[in-house]
Amino acid sequence: MTALDLSTELGDASRARLAALADVLIPGGSGLPSASEADVAGQWINRALAANGDLAGAVTQVLATPGAPDEVLSDLRLSHPDVFERFAFAVAGAYFMNPAVRDALGYPGIAPRRLPAADGEAEYFLEDDVLAPVVDRGSIYRRVE
Amino acid sequence: MDSKQDHVDVLIVGAGTAAGVAARHLAEAGFTVVCLEQGEWVDPGKLPGNKPEYELAGAKDWHPDPNVRGRREDYPVDHSESDLPVWMYNGVGGSSVLYGGIWARPLPSDFRVSTLDGVADDWPLTYDELLPYYQAVEREMRVSGLAGNPAYPPGFDPPLPAAPIHQTGRTMAEGMNRLGWHWWPGTNSIPTLNRDNSKEGRCVRYGICRMGCPEGAKSSTDVTHLRDAVALGAQVITRARVARVTLDDRGRANGAVYLRDGHEHFQSASLVIMAAGGIGTPRLLLMSASERFPDGLANSSGLVGKRLMLHPYAASVGIYDDDLENWLGPAGEHIGSMQFYESDPSRGFVRGAKWALLPIAGPLEAAEKWTDPGSLNGEEFWGEGSADRMKSFGRMLQWHIVPEDLPEETNFVSLHPSLTDSDGLPAAKVHYRVSDNTRKIIDFNLARSLEAHEAAGAKKAWVAGRNFMTGHNTGTAKMGDDPATSVVDRFGRTHDVPNLYIIDASVFTTSTGVNPTATICALAKRTASHIASNAREQEVAL
Repeated sequence: MTALDLSTELGDASRARLAALADVLIPGGSGLPSASEADVAGQWINRALAANGDLAGAVTQVLATPGAPDEVLSDLRLSHPDVFERFAFAVAGAYFMNPAVRDALGYPGIAPRRLPAADGEAEYFLEDDVLAPVVDRGSIYRRVE
Repeated sequence: MDSKQDHVDVLIVGAGTAAGVAARHLAEAGFTVVCLEQGEWVDPGKLPGNKPEYELAGAKDWHPDPNVRGRREDYPVDHSESDLPVWMYNGVGGSSVLYGGIWARPLPSDFRVSTLDGVADDWPLTYDELLPYYQAVEREMRVSGLAGNPAYPPGFDPPLPAAPIHQTGRTMAEGMNRLGWHWWPGTNSIPTLNRDNSKEGRCVRYGICRMGCPEGAKSSTDVTHLRDAVALGAQVITRARVARVTLDDRGRANGAVYLRDGHEHFQSASLVIMAAGGIGTPRLLLMSASERFPDGLANSSGLVGKRLMLHPYAASVGIYDDDLENWLGPAGEHIGSMQFYESDPSRGFVRGAKWALLPIAGPLEAAEKWTDPGSLNGEEFWGEGSADRMKSFGRMLQWHIVPEDLPEETNFVSLHPSLTDSDGLPAAKVHYRVSDNTRKIIDFNLARSLEAHEAAGAKKAWVAGRNFMTGHNTGTAKMGDDPATSVVDRFGRTHDVPNLYIIDASVFTTSTGVNPTATICALAKRTASHIASNAREQEVAL
């Protein structure tokens, strides 16, 4: 499936609509931005749909549904839960790509990055004989003749 | 026929996990080998795991469900009559490209379930017979772990040091100790050390093993075996979709017809090995029906495609006080538990499950712990308060539960009557229902896993889902001594065709309750060793 290119197929009004819908799902707070504050309806939704073209249909369908954003999504969840799930996945996928969001959630970097284990790290987490009770109980497998 | 390829000693159908092990072994032994692979080599640069879009791409182009990927090489699988889809990867390295890298041997009792528990069938071989092959492939697959696990008999000494269990494993380990339950540092086919002149690196803990490792630090056979096999002279012909295995006038397998870029070719061979996976191998055998074998090649028992076992996973999660950095790899398991693996009749079911404490690759995966239809969290994820739930992502631990799935002939793979792949060949149809015994194993183990979370200090714990697909597609060409009740013998040779072997998870007599890759590799090594050692006595096509 060709990814929906919102930059050419949707104008400002549609992006504003997407931002309002996304804010219903992700209103922000507790140090996290809302979906609109995180520019979900801007560059991030473009990248999300480019990475996963299967989501474009759900985004298009939701944008084409008139009504108050919260009612549109609550109705959709009941009538077409699969479409709701794909729309939410697209919005969340766009949101979590924003580096500020990843940083606020405690993930290191804009993507998984190389963090090879340090010398002694394996031993450190096994200190204080944490394995001793397991070893002391002895074998637990059934003997087979 | 557009071309006939040069005759080889051994034709392997597929270039996946088992094929890699066998191809390298046979090439080292001096055999001429061709692998026919419908997919392509993986370009590590295209793997998504170190890119911002990794979770989105992992849900499409690198999803383990072939129907979701929808690539040219992905033959469709109709799962409309199955409780769960099946996973696989169709390309060089096979499903080892997308597996998690958990390296789990079964236990001696797994090979004697009929004798011990009165269900299913005993394998025609024992744990001890497979032991040297497990040890051999653990070196080849660069398995890391800690020796001395009391869940196993002596002789399970991973060749590379264990990875750190991290704060995740430590937190849960202390909880398991409070309960007096077994746990052990994770054993993974993910190297913790470089080796001289290695083409593989060591694990850099991206935590995205299940999307393929951009570092080449997860032992998939495209990395560990097939490059070496090619260097030794083996050929891997990609984009080659086998249409049928052929027989000579005496009923010996003499090659395969395959389609490549719209043209039909024939590969001639003295001996044929099927390695197309638990779905692909029965599909191809059924597609290879002939006058001699009207119900499918090597199917005089009627069991080709039958007895499909899938390991429907379940998962539980807990939220803890501290940041656990749960995104650190390997993924792979940080710790595992065999506490509830062996049968205990007082539980109301037979057999059991392995547990694996896995990292959570990223925020989309974490969110699914609330949004999955099987989640019993009870809280709405979206809307007001979603920020607080998101901020708990890094404080989450998850247990994955692998239940043993026993064989039933009502669970099977068949050829689809109308759906086809991109070359017009019949798609596969999966008929599978989770059995009552498997359901009870899952229920029991999920309940115990919630107790483990509580003991480890979770503020809240819940069942995050069940009936996850696994890619553990086993049992569809049963191994056994009796030709009337099995498809292959104890060396993987089909009872019906003396120079046709099967080396993938199809041959599993029972599924065991652990991840199957260790046993797939060990069986492939054993069959390849048998072929190489008995070449003089081997009947071949003329």
